[in-house]
Amino acid sequence: MTTRRPCRPSRAERRGFIAVALRAIGLAAAIAATPTHAAGFDLGALTTLLGRVRSGEATFVETRRIEMLDRTLQSSGRLSFKAPDSFVRETLKPRHEKLAVDGNTLTMSLGERSRTMQLDASPEAAVIVEAIRGTLTGNRATLERLFETTVSGDAARWSLDLVPRDLRLRGQVAAVRVSGRDAAAREVEVRLADGDRSVMTIEPVASARATP
Amino acid sequence: MTSAAPLARHRGVIFAIWLGGIAAALVVAWRTHYVADLSAFLPSAPTPEQAVLLDQLKSGATSRLLVIGIEGGAPGDEAAAVARAEASRRVAAALRASDAFASVHNGENSAWADAGRFLFEHRYAISPAVDAERFGVAGLREAIDATVSLLGTPAGSLLKPILFRDPTGETLRIAEALTPARAPRIDHGVWMSRQAPRAVLVATTAADGADIDGQQRSLAAIHSAFDAAPTPGLRLVVSGAGKFAVESRERIKAEVERLAVLGSIVIVVLLWLAFASVRALAVAMLPVATGVVAGIAAVSLGFGQVHGMTLGFGTTLIGEAVDYAIYYLIQARGGDGAAKRWRRESWPTVRLGLFTSLIGFAALVFTGFPGLAQLGVFSIAGLVAAAATTRFVFPVLVPNGAPGAGFRRRLARVMSAAASQLPRARFGVPAVALAAIVALVVVPSPWRGELSSLSPVSPSDLALDATLRADVGAADAGTLVAVAGSSEQAALEGAEAVGARLDPLVAAGVLLGYDSPARLLPSAATQARRLAALPDAATLAARLAEATADGALPAARLGPFIADVDAARAQPPFGRAALAGTPLAAALDALLLPGDATRPWRALVNLQAGDNGRLDVDRVRAAIADIPGVRVVAVKTELDAIYARFLREAEWQAALGGVAVALLLAAHLRSARRLAAIALPIAAATLVVLAALALSGAALGILHLVGLLLTVAIGSNYALFFDHLRERGEADADTLASLLLANLTTVASFALLASSSIPVLRAVGIVVAPGALLCLVFSAAWLGRGDAPGAEAHGKIAP
Repeated sequence: MTTRRPCRPSRAERRGFIAVALRAIGLAAAIAATPTHAAGFDLGALTTLLGRVRSGEATFVETRRIEMLDRTLQSSGRLSFKAPDSFVRETLKPRHEKLAVDGNTLTMSLGERSRTMQLDASPEAAVIVEAIRGTLTGNRATLERLFETTVSGDAARWSLDLVPRDLRLRGQVAAVRVSGRDAAAREVEVRLADGDRSVMTIEPVASARATP
Repeated sequence: MTSAAPLARHRGVIFAIWLGGIAAALVVAWRTHYVADLSAFLPSAPTPEQAVLLDQLKSGATSRLLVIGIEGGAPGDEAAAVARAEASRRVAAALRASDAFASVHNGENSAWADAGRFLFEHRYAISPAVDAERFGVAGLREAIDATVSLLGTPAGSLLKPILFRDPTGETLRIAEALTPARAPRIDHGVWMSRQAPRAVLVATTAADGADIDGQQRSLAAIHSAFDAAPTPGLRLVVSGAGKFAVESRERIKAEVERLAVLGSIVIVVLLWLAFASVRALAVAMLPVATGVVAGIAAVSLGFGQVHGMTLGFGTTLIGEAVDYAIYYLIQARGGDGAAKRWRRESWPTVRLGLFTSLIGFAALVFTGFPGLAQLGVFSIAGLVAAAATTRFVFPVLVPNGAPGAGFRRRLARVMSAAASQLPRARFGVPAVALAAIVALVVVPSPWRGELSSLSPVSPSDLALDATLRADVGAADAGTLVAVAGSSEQAALEGAEAVGARLDPLVAAGVLLGYDSPARLLPSAATQARRLAALPDAATLAARLAEATADGALPAARLGPFIADVDAARAQPPFGRAALAGTPLAAALDALLLPGDATRPWRALVNLQAGDNGRLDVDRVRAAIADIPGVRVVAVKTELDAIYARFLREAEWQAALGGVAVALLLAAHLRSARRLAAIALPIAAATLVVLAALALSGAALGILHLVGLLLTVAIGSNYALFFDHLRERGEADADTLASLLLANLTTVASFALLASSSIPVLRAVGIVVAPGALLCLVFSAAWLGRGDAPGAEAHGKIAP
């Protein structure tokens, strides 16, 4: 038996697609308008920098803007990752949730319920997971495979714009922007095609030890 | 012979009976339904649980599943990936539009639009989360918070359109329960293999698995859908039980034709060697033709149909039956009373040979495989008819045998040379037997044939099948829990009880998940219980107000939710018919098997192994032990067990068959010494064949065992002949020639079988062909009188 997401709003999807297209054009324009790229600091340099950190822990605070409800939601918790491909996001407030990725296995726990699925069977989840996991572990190949990438800033203060290559996915996840300082990501901003937005600010715990 | 008139009348009656019998058999054969499906070579099931399993394999949902692959392009080639996805969508759309398929899945969500609508509309009856607690104030708050926590994520965007109708997320709960843990990879919006550049689709045919014509039409529909807009560089691969059945039928048809043509050539050549006379050739065909027609009629009457493979096996009948004609036509020559003399002197020997052969073929009848039973019945009826034709009709039709010497003189010379030379090496016979025994002791046991070794499906096709199934996460031989119930509702309630016991195992990681029919169609009791737990509109509104007091969702916007819940309370529980027209119907059919007067309803719960890929069957068994009517079936283990049981039974039958042959010979010989002398070359021949097969690394199974018994049954005739020769001390050249001819026909017909691409036929052929030849050689060596080449002295070949 193979049922997937039974209810998909096709009209909303189409609307979302147009929004994404417009936003992508806007984004391209914005990138084109950016006057200076720090010379030499590109995706290769960034992933090399990030790849030096083999594991890390952090706390996060996330703010989500939900258009439909006309309000923001806030949550907070812990993040941890371990090269090459483990990543855990544990939300502690307002309710306990856990999302753990190990290789291609995604485990989501909500209260006492827990379900395991294959990451590559759910591309929209994979986009979010890989944007964060791929950046934290400095996995250049994965980032380039899934996203059109744009790096701006320099090693001290950088940001990485990720736009899904698959147009179908852009109809859901319009863009992800990861910003950071040195070898640590400090903010992940996700923009969904339907207009919802989330910003996750990250406060490294382990990197505080790593960087004197 | 005292009076000519009664004798003529007597002859007329015999002739009329023969012609009438042939006519009747022809009518039956003409009206026979010929089949070529594989199920005849699956064992008949000894237990009800195995019956479920075999039913599923023969005509269940498993047999209607086709996995389609569209492959081409390099692994990293983006353009090729897009082309594959396009082709997948195009083929899927075409197949969905045709009425040949009950469901077609390729990873596109559009396939689930109807199903999604149905599940959404019946969410309060289907969602496992619905109970009174969930619709209390605390439960509502918890459920709404859980839904809200998904908003702002990609999963949340799917929920938004139904947020105010389903704020507790029942649709999501249903989707979660139905989503398999091992789903295929999705790329460019469709299923793609994880291993190779290949888009994959899963189609369930509308035609039954046993309907091979229907399966053939379904396959043609797939190919024409793909060919409608061919993309350069892409190719189509299809696998599944239906594909195997169609291909096997083609293969069996071609094989039967090949065997019939080659068999005819063999018989013509041999008869030409024997007589070099067209008339003799035509007459000698009569017992063979009668035997074939009688065999077909007997199988048709006994089984209601005739399998193509049975016809293929019929070539061995040619080999056996033509011997009777040869014996008679050669030995019954010479003036008045020749036929009578033959009947007195030679017929008892022919009859003994017939009986030993019948014992051999009787073993086939009792193997427990309907297909093999057909071969046995066919051969027994055919041999009896051929022998009867020779015994009763030939004296009427050709009272003086047949003219023509052909090459018999040369054959006789070869034979008499062999009979005089071979005995010099007589102690070679026990020596090779001993060597064979040593080899059999040293080499690991070759009796490791599996059920799959009977299947005519080639290993490369099976490998492709396994690959495609892995791509779509549909492992073939899994473990399932079969729940029997006296009614549909009882079976569903059983499945729900099993599910309740399995949930903790899933939580503990023992199981990755399971598929249950109750998730698609909850029992009426469960549906009623869920709907009864829903509060009325006023109560729900009051509770919602409290539950959402400081939450993200304003109660004011949840009017549609209250209306939907109120409507659901009035819904009656839905039944199986409500799923018709959605892909859910095909999914349910696979898991809920209707019962009838003879067998109960059955719900099948498919288990998916935990992380390590191994399933702890004992824990599952312990968890559900006290639920009545429940049984854990490990498909592969169960099939292997069935086969192992049949192999054990076949060993007994072969042993009994061997004993029966020995008793028959003992009754005929009335001498333990002669019996022992005959037994040695036969035993040596079977041991050498067995050792050679073991050394070659072949995996032996039931059919090789059957072949060994046939070797004993047929080979004993040659030993018997040399025993007679030794006792009587003389044999004319014609007898020697007919013996060699008889052996050649047998060896040639079984060698034809050995060349077959159908494992069932090949297995018998590779044992009997060399076995029969060795029986003759060893008998000549062990029993022949090397010092007295008497054959030549008596040589008289009449022209």
